[in-house]
Amino acid sequence: MRYAFFPGCVLDGAAAEAREATVRVARALDIELVELPGWTCCGASHAQDVDELAAVAVNARNLALAEKLGLPLLTACSTCTLMLRKAKAALDGGLKDKVNGLLASAGMAYAGTSDVTHLLWALVRDYGLERLKAKVTRPLTGLKVAGYYGCHLLRPPQVMDFEDHARPRSLAALIAALGAEPVEMASARKCCGFHAVFPAERDVFKMTGTINADAVAAGADCIVTPCPLCQMQLDMRQPEGREAIGTAGDMPILHLAQLVGLALGMTGSEMGLGRHVTAAFHVAAKAGGR
Amino acid sequence: MEQVVYRIRRFDGEKEFWQEYSFAHEPNKTVLWGLLKIKETADPSLAFVAACRSAVCGACAVRVNGEAVLACETPLDALLGRFGATLVLEPLGNFPVIRDLVVDWEPKAVRLAEAKPWLMPRDEFSAEAGCRQTQAEFKKINAQTNCILCGSCASECNKLSTGDDDFYEPFVYTKAGKFVADSRDGAAAEHLRPVLARGLWKCVHCQECVTKCPKRVAPAEDIAALRRESIRQGLTDNPGARHALAFAGDITNSGRLNETTMAVKTDGLLKSATRLPFALRLLRRGKLNPFHFPAPVEGIDGVRAIVKAAKEAKE
Repeated sequence: MRYAFFPGCVLDGAAAEAREATVRVARALDIELVELPGWTCCGASHAQDVDELAAVAVNARNLALAEKLGLPLLTACSTCTLMLRKAKAALDGGLKDKVNGLLASAGMAYAGTSDVTHLLWALVRDYGLERLKAKVTRPLTGLKVAGYYGCHLLRPPQVMDFEDHARPRSLAALIAALGAEPVEMASARKCCGFHAVFPAERDVFKMTGTINADAVAAGADCIVTPCPLCQMQLDMRQPEGREAIGTAGDMPILHLAQLVGLALGMTGSEMGLGRHVTAAFHVAAKAGGR
Repeated sequence: MEQVVYRIRRFDGEKEFWQEYSFAHEPNKTVLWGLLKIKETADPSLAFVAACRSAVCGACAVRVNGEAVLACETPLDALLGRFGATLVLEPLGNFPVIRDLVVDWEPKAVRLAEAKPWLMPRDEFSAEAGCRQTQAEFKKINAQTNCILCGSCASECNKLSTGDDDFYEPFVYTKAGKFVADSRDGAAAEHLRPVLARGLWKCVHCQECVTKCPKRVAPAEDIAALRRESIRQGLTDNPGARHALAFAGDITNSGRLNETTMAVKTDGLLKSATRLPFALRLLRRGKLNPFHFPAPVEGIDGVRAIVKAAKEAKE
């Protein structure tokens, strides 16, 4: 299995541990990730507020770069996935010729031959959970894990279209395949607020606090999320979230690849758990992988 | 399955309670069929609204297992397949409830009126000449014209659920956006000003409104269009606009987000200084490197050429 890897800005910066974990996990599973040379920011659901056409065109360039490699494009970020898939839908839905006129100024063209997928989807659909299960060397037995999807990997379904947005099952299935116990949390599909933290801080902290409190109430040892932006919001802003809704209790927030890596026998240090604001090492300890 | 169960959240004006109704399954029916069956054969006191039964009036929107749907057009079999034999029915979220599944539109209508969702014709139009527009001009507002004010977009709106004092229902932005974009309207600022004052930049991008709309209207896209218009008009003295401009600028400058400067560009130096404890929290964990300035990506000249070409294509 080979993919054109689109790390996205957050894996390049504040969530570098997610990049490290993704690369290590892919290597352990014999999944080849070829980093897309010259990739640019997907616009992070903000660029279209300034220039819609430019936002599509910049992602058309990213897609064209993947086409040059002849590979499907894989990200480990839900917002990158949404932005790239939205651009692809717009291009395939009629904008292709117009945007190719813009790409020509950079000597590029979009053909529409590369698909866009996410690490979670690739593990569940392309790699297969049975195959993943066979690779597990340290089952996460006894670890209660709440799967938190957030928004952009599910919605809008006409663009994302991987599973039932109202009743997703992929995270629970993956958690179970790793030997852990999936725990249902009430706000698994709610928004963490990351994209509006500057203009709507008060509301966003409430959202963040509620999600973490839901996981505490569900008896989870940790949350796992396929989105590094959600991970950052729920982890880095956890103190503000607690204050906003008046709750207590730490909730470790793991990147998807970190949980997989622990089950593949990697240590908490190798997975970068030390970079989390909310102590996550006891998750690794419980899984026997300090 | 032979039996279907509707578990309905009821409200009698004073107290809330849950009630279950069971009835025989029939294939190829709708959610509304089930409600009518209950009312006609089991409990005439159950209150809900339905009028056209053709997905045109929008009156019958309800929440089923936490998701807003139009009861008249939603196949029961699809929901039973998704959730099993028991469906949980509730009134739309983020609306005051009058009784059972009936919600109060009055306060929403007052808020909607603030955005002046009606045509204010340009000066050159007259009663004699009318307000003509070309097909291309109509196409720009065609999607928004489909909004039937069913309220589904508001039901699961994550921002609205957290607080509505500084944010409108998504359909308000759609209606405002329609008239701002309408070639016949001569008072764009009259529609734009109220939505900018009340939450235009506070949408959390959760995509619930796009997902729930039964008519394929996309309020989140309308919010983005209104934001573009506000920026075009130079109304950028707010953190939301500055944040978006910072992203667009970073893409042109280096191709990548500059996390180090983002907060200052968005909030300004003074407000950013109040975030120092948070920054220190990140520094301690190595999540923030104040000296990290992304180098321009390979092919940055091409990126800049594409952005420039996109800008010129619109002019």
